[in-house]
Amino acid sequence: MELLEYIQYVLAPQVLNGLTVGVALILVALGLTIIFGLLDVLNMSHGEFYAVGAFLTIGLGAMGVNFWALIVLAPILMIPLAIAVERFLIRKVYDGADRHVTTLLVTFGLALVMEDVLKLIFGANPHRPENPLPGASEVLGIVFPHYRFLLIIVGAFIILVISYIVYRTKLGSMVRAAAYDRNMAASLGVPVGLIYSGTFAFGVGLAALAGVLLAPIYSVFPTMGRDFIFMAFSVVIIGGMGSILGAVVAGLLLAQISSLSSLFIEPVWTDPIVFGVMVIFLMFRPQGLFGRIGHA
Amino acid sequence: MMNSNLGRSMGALCLALGLASQVMAETPIKIGVVTPLSGTYAGIGQPIRWGMEMAAKEINEAGGIAGRQLQLIFEDEEANPAVAVQRAERLIQVEKVDFLTGTVNSGSTLAVGQLGERNNTLVSTTVSYADSITGERCSPNVFRVNARAEQQSIALAAWLAKSKPDARVFYIGPDYEMGRSTVAAFKAKAEQYGLKTVGEFFAPLDAKDYTQYFNQIRAARPDVIYTSVAGNDTVRLFSQLAEFGLMRDVTMIGSAGVITSQNIKAVGKAGDGFTTGTGYSPDLNIPENKTFVAAYKALYKQDPDTFAADSYGLIYGYKAAVEKANSTDTDKVRAALQGLSWSTPQGTKQIRAGDHQGIQDMLLVSIKDGQFNVIDKVPAEEAIGPDVCTKF
Repeated sequence: MELLEYIQYVLAPQVLNGLTVGVALILVALGLTIIFGLLDVLNMSHGEFYAVGAFLTIGLGAMGVNFWALIVLAPILMIPLAIAVERFLIRKVYDGADRHVTTLLVTFGLALVMEDVLKLIFGANPHRPENPLPGASEVLGIVFPHYRFLLIIVGAFIILVISYIVYRTKLGSMVRAAAYDRNMAASLGVPVGLIYSGTFAFGVGLAALAGVLLAPIYSVFPTMGRDFIFMAFSVVIIGGMGSILGAVVAGLLLAQISSLSSLFIEPVWTDPIVFGVMVIFLMFRPQGLFGRIGHA
Repeated sequence: MMNSNLGRSMGALCLALGLASQVMAETPIKIGVVTPLSGTYAGIGQPIRWGMEMAAKEINEAGGIAGRQLQLIFEDEEANPAVAVQRAERLIQVEKVDFLTGTVNSGSTLAVGQLGERNNTLVSTTVSYADSITGERCSPNVFRVNARAEQQSIALAAWLAKSKPDARVFYIGPDYEMGRSTVAAFKAKAEQYGLKTVGEFFAPLDAKDYTQYFNQIRAARPDVIYTSVAGNDTVRLFSQLAEFGLMRDVTMIGSAGVITSQNIKAVGKAGDGFTTGTGYSPDLNIPENKTFVAAYKALYKQDPDTFAADSYGLIYGYKAAVEKANSTDTDKVRAALQGLSWSTPQGTKQIRAGDHQGIQDMLLVSIKDGQFNVIDKVPAEEAIGPDVCTKF
């Protein structure tokens, strides 16, 4: 009986809370893993694109744009910015001798610039859009807010759509081909340049979408990009660089580790545990759980 | 012969004295203000400067202090105790100031206080909270006219005990020194007032999601949640508590920095009902404050805050002390300041002779529709706490 109560009142809510954090984490990590897996670029400015998405919610929301419309609008508005970044920054250094280092530095520099631009435009103080779906339901003694429930549904839907596009469509196979061997793909008529820009824009759009969806829960401020980025990198490393399934599994795993561990130990220790798991993976299974897309 | 000589010398003496007092009347009284004018704390230095300049202007237009004009000399301390000491030293040695004030962070106040003690100059802070300044690290040369941390805790605990007797209190703090010490200090006071502690947790600074701790709150069934988080942590904690329905039938209280003008908009509706203890609110409904707020708004186009009110009040306190002492001599002004009571925007303030701590009524302010409103008052004597200074 006591065990049942423990499961109902302590364990189950904690697992559910971990699930929403996990979905949030997966949304941020998906764009990162797609850009990394397909373009072989470590996008250090991913967190800032996430922040730009969240600030679009604040800026456009203040102009009266509906929150739900922003879910569609924000990723679309990011396309020109993403294409410009890919064409004029990343592509400039992409074919250099040390691609990983140069793209990492370029995107890191971009992250710093973007953070300061956000600070200049919106100021350093935090903002928050009102929760578009307030209220909570109680089922079997477990209280669950409606918006978080929606977040899980929308998150699952987005993950399914992305998996379908990447693994089941002609577009997806062209992208995977370009990732596996771009010269061969190009000679077979795949528009590699376009695919690269498009994939980068897609990943950035996902970051912006995550920014919009998470703004009502996590609030919006210029340095928010750093919030999820380390966790998201851990997800990408543990899941396998570029693996969508890997990002999903690793995202849920890490979120549950941090959620459940806080039941038993001091909350400050959850981060060391999560990053400890990442270090263990880097040491014993550096390819991650599922290996790299287009290569596995 | 003798007589006329004596008469002549007397006359000369009188003349000399007269001239001297003439010269005295012309040299201004100098107050050195070492305050952060740049950097992170510039936002606090600004209202301090405005409050003091407004008071000095009013005093000078009304004829000065005992016929002498008042001059403020500002130095930027960059919220750094080492810089503060260096600038204060310059004010004492080069400008020969009669009084020093302006320091914001408690480290600067303690450091400048020691300097004042070595150089026989009086120092007063109008902002620093740390209890030690007028507690175990008190100094005969250091005064504080603003409410210290303990006065805020006592005011809040006393109000809570009165409005919600036997309340079950849950504590949430950010996991670092300040966060833990504010919670511990308030908990001790609350328990003295008979309030029951039902649980606590400390979340890392910049925690994204507080939901993983919410079960502890739910299981504890508190009537009151006390917190000392700040900045964006407040925004997240409050909105997530509201999201999970944990604020229903719960009174939210906390330290003064939890909700400020910087995050009040982002906290939004979730902040409604949050109550804290403070030494000042522009909303305070007494004639002294109404005059002060109107003049301040006319001059600076915004409401004064606690820093402006305490700094404005200090200049008048110093004026009252110099007039009472009829001198700017350090020992005489110290004696005059001890036990002095004078009128400020916060009502009558008094300086306790035993530890040089300002005694004032404490206010309870609560947020309604994104605005702080005064909801109650705790009398000065009740909120002051014991005198623990043993150095003088």
